[in-house]
Amino acid sequence: MAYLTTFYWGWLLASVLLGFGMGWISVVQHGKGISRKWRWALSALVAALVAAALARVVPGRFGYWLDLGLIMFALYLCGCAVGSWLRDWVVSRSAPPA
Amino acid sequence: MRGLFRWSSKWWPGVIPLVICWAIAAWTSTEPLEIDLAQRSAAALKGTILDKRRISVEGRDVTLAADAFSEDGRRSAVASVEVVPGVRLVNDQTRLVPEAKPFVWSAERDVVRVTLSGSSPLPASKGRLMEAARASLGGVEVVDRTNLARGAPPRFDNAALLLLDQIGKLKDGKITLSDTTVSLSGMARELGGREAIAAALKNLPEGFSVAANEVKAPPYIFQAYKDPVAVTLTLTGNVADHNVHAALVAAAGRKFFSEKVVDNLKTSIGAPAGFANAVVSALGALSRLSTGTLVVSDREVKLSGDALYEAAASQIRAGLGKDFPQGWQFKPEISVKPAAAPVDATVCQQLFTELLGKARIRFESGKADIVADSAGLLDRLIETALRCPAANIEIAGHTDTDGDEAANQALSERRAQAVADYLVKAGLPANRFSAVGYGSTQPIAGNETDQGKAQNRRIDFVVK
Repeated sequence: MAYLTTFYWGWLLASVLLGFGMGWISVVQHGKGISRKWRWALSALVAALVAAALARVVPGRFGYWLDLGLIMFALYLCGCAVGSWLRDWVVSRSAPPA
Repeated sequence: MRGLFRWSSKWWPGVIPLVICWAIAAWTSTEPLEIDLAQRSAAALKGTILDKRRISVEGRDVTLAADAFSEDGRRSAVASVEVVPGVRLVNDQTRLVPEAKPFVWSAERDVVRVTLSGSSPLPASKGRLMEAARASLGGVEVVDRTNLARGAPPRFDNAALLLLDQIGKLKDGKITLSDTTVSLSGMARELGGREAIAAALKNLPEGFSVAANEVKAPPYIFQAYKDPVAVTLTLTGNVADHNVHAALVAAAGRKFFSEKVVDNLKTSIGAPAGFANAVVSALGALSRLSTGTLVVSDREVKLSGDALYEAAASQIRAGLGKDFPQGWQFKPEISVKPAAAPVDATVCQQLFTELLGKARIRFESGKADIVADSAGLLDRLIETALRCPAANIEIAGHTDTDGDEAANQALSERRAQAVADYLVKAGLPANRFSAVGYGSTQPIAGNETDQGKAQNRRIDFVVK
């Protein structure tokens, strides 16, 4: 992992920043998110991909791309979580007390 | 936490640029990553001895194909690549190099090159042997056809290096090392090479032995060429040692009274038994020819040339073989020189005087037995006598003043008679010759010195 991080840290940073931005926006965004059903389906898909990556069943370049995608996605989610939490913190601090 | 769960339903739009980023990252990073991992894997295998190593990388999966020289080496090679940072999987296509049983290595030399074939235990050994072959053979082409194999005996390298040294001493031949036994065949480059190889083989590493040493020595050659134009006798080839060398040159000097002896002989070991005696006899026969070549090759003597008259040719053909030791072969190719033009008695006398001025007919000390060294001179005297068939010749024997005068008189008569008999035996009519002894009554030099006495002990031919 350390090797991969040093190898393409730029892309990982981009994923984190992208996630951070998306998380920052999502707190104040109006409109509906994806439905609960979709969320479960996507979670299952991601879990299956993670399982495939950990089991190293996908060979060669596809295996590498899968690893790369999952790492970027994981960092994206982390970025989103941090961004959302921070935005929420900022919003709740500046909002007039109820 | 609930909020995070709620917000996450709105995170999906960012996945689209994320996927684009991922695609670009995958597109741009895959090849550099593969190259980097291949380099790191190769570096990790640097200390591991492998043959036919191939590393290919797909994504983060490394395929390692190689021939290892031991199971431990094979496992450690795979383990070394597995721990390279970034490698996800190692696709192990390594195998052990085949085991050779028996483990055979050979070096073969022909006219233009040395070919190494069979098995070598390790790439390093292969390289070292090739280098040693080039160094010891200086300039000869060396072709390496050895394959790598397991199963070499301990100290193989040392044994093979010693054998490579020996191949340099062969003109052609083959040295084979099969497990720990050595077989040699071929022809040594120089005289003494066979013996040198046998001596070197005693230094083979412990555990190695010589199964067969069939290296032959090159023929032991001695040549003599009598050149009537340059009036020289050229000696070339080999003699056993300095004593034999000196003896042969001295014998040549006695037998070839008018030729200058050109000595190009060199001392070499490996002379066949009886070599010196056979060569001295053969030189005696050569001295009787007007022109001729003597070639002694191992135990075969070839004498070719022109005898001075028919009887001499017959005597040489029939007689020389008898003087050789057992097992020697004599191949005479003797023809007879065309008879010289007849001359009158005066010229004949001049020719006799000229010949006997150059050399004297020599006898055993105190006896009337003609020594073999005088055969060449006698043949020339006979040839001269044949040129003046009408002339009668007195063969006059003389002695020095040493000893009793009556004994000297008798000795001079017997010696003169011995010479006359020799001439008759050669086919000249007996009635042309009268043998007369003068004892010490007609000296041609002072009898006070050894030199003078030697001049006085003589046979003169006087045309009547």
